[in-house]
Amino acid sequence: MNIVVCAKVVPDYEVPASDFELVNGRAHKRFTRMIGLYDENAVEVGVQLKEKYNGNLIIISYGREEDIPILRKAIAMGGDKLIIIIGNSDDPYIISENLKMGIERIGDVDFVLAGRQSADMDRGIVPGILAGMLNYTFVPQVTQIELINGLWKAIQVTEKGIREIKVSKKAVFSITDDPGNIPRIPPVRRILAAKKMPVEKLNEIQVPPMQIEEISVDIPKIEIECEFLSVEDPKEAARALLNRLKEERYL
Amino acid sequence: MKTLIIEIIDAARLGELYTVSKFFTDTPDLVALGEGDIPSGFGKVFHTDEILGANILNALLDLIKDERYELILLSSSTEGNSIASPLASFLSLPIISEVIGIEKDFIVKKPLYGGKALVTYKIKKTPIIITIRRNSFEREDLKGSSNTIPLELKDKPLELLAEKEEKVEGVPLEEADIIVTGGRGIGAPENFKMLRELADLLKGAVGASRGAVDEGWVPPQMQVGQTGKIVAPNVYFAIGVSGASQHLAGITNAKCVVAINIDEEANIFKRANFGIVSDYRKIVPALIDVLREEGI
Repeated sequence: MNIVVCAKVVPDYEVPASDFELVNGRAHKRFTRMIGLYDENAVEVGVQLKEKYNGNLIIISYGREEDIPILRKAIAMGGDKLIIIIGNSDDPYIISENLKMGIERIGDVDFVLAGRQSADMDRGIVPGILAGMLNYTFVPQVTQIELINGLWKAIQVTEKGIREIKVSKKAVFSITDDPGNIPRIPPVRRILAAKKMPVEKLNEIQVPPMQIEEISVDIPKIEIECEFLSVEDPKEAARALLNRLKEERYL
Repeated sequence: MKTLIIEIIDAARLGELYTVSKFFTDTPDLVALGEGDIPSGFGKVFHTDEILGANILNALLDLIKDERYELILLSSSTEGNSIASPLASFLSLPIISEVIGIEKDFIVKKPLYGGKALVTYKIKKTPIIITIRRNSFEREDLKGSSNTIPLELKDKPLELLAEKEEKVEGVPLEEADIIVTGGRGIGAPENFKMLRELADLLKGAVGASRGAVDEGWVPPQMQVGQTGKIVAPNVYFAIGVSGASQHLAGITNAKCVVAINIDEEANIFKRANFGIVSDYRKIVPALIDVLREEGI
């Protein structure tokens, strides 16, 4: 069984808005880079499936060559192979076409996992575009996957609850966080072994970008000054807060 | 611009998409998914009981080609996301997701970097697919009913085995005027009881940060944030919430944020209108007492 996980390296998503800085419309290069928030959940789901069904877990990424050391974390978590397609586009069609190229080189792939959305572009569309290109079924916002009588059953989170879905075709699942797929911390021996693992590097293929024009990227100004209330007496603080909320007609 | 809305039958979601459609057309067509009463206000209304995106995809491909739609609108929801990007892929169309603002001359805005930045795009080419972030646009109050045309489905790669609605007490988060949200800082799942008591007194809803959901303290349906519920209350109480940008992206439209946190350096205070630096276990019971004394 070949399981592919698409992982993207992004600027530190924990940087507070007040410290955030743009250069040419993208996050400043000074920010630490890390595997995307939900991509790590996707890797964890992949590792759990590999352990349960004795599969082969391949991590594939489109991005910069200097991100390879960061992607090795996914190997330490349990990945068997790392493929990186070297490129620096943000365009979802260019990223998806290149991921497709990498996935097709692997050969027989049972399914593809990806985080529900990257922590930089906030789009959540690459997994679905990739599914279309691969002619796979797309199932978004999945937390768990299991094999039942030869078919995959996925748990999908909706706005109101969950769905259990049986999948009869090859699929791309986009993974969302859940207490059951929080990434486990890899043991030191696996971190060390991951550093030595050879990485397959591929050159990107040239494909046309999507036809939209990016006019500007700005940091929204937050012009709120927090009014701190005294807390010497909790009950007085509570009373003062409720009074202020009423004065400002919020309550 | 000939516009098609694709959405499950839900008054709030349909109302928001209808508002957005008015930037582009007088009368949008609709593909209505699932069961329920479909309001009026649309041109042609196609209907299927099916709600799983992959099972509807082939029928939508034919419909969009036959009717020559120039704009396809969906919400950034599980259902919308399951359709929008594969549809774009099969039709080789541009797609902009998570849109939160639209201006004249086909200018649209969406967040980047967990809401820390905002990108502005100009639509250069149609057809195009747009998904909108929930609670980012006023909701048209649609009434009446529509006659429907059945949408004939082809292959169904997915089978719905079960659908379980998570029972969430009180007012739905998206509808609530007051929200009391707990973060990892509240320490334990049982402490949500105190937040529920406060929310009940204020006739509000209880939310949670991603951290509290990841701890397994509350179900994902209570998560507020970029990838949880996008909310727009009058007052948002953030209790033990650190204020990660992904969380703040979900409360952009909150009119007033009250932060209660023991860490005075917590990022949430930068978004808060009112702040109390203290142990919430002292402040929340005090709020409950005062509200009771005032007979609220």
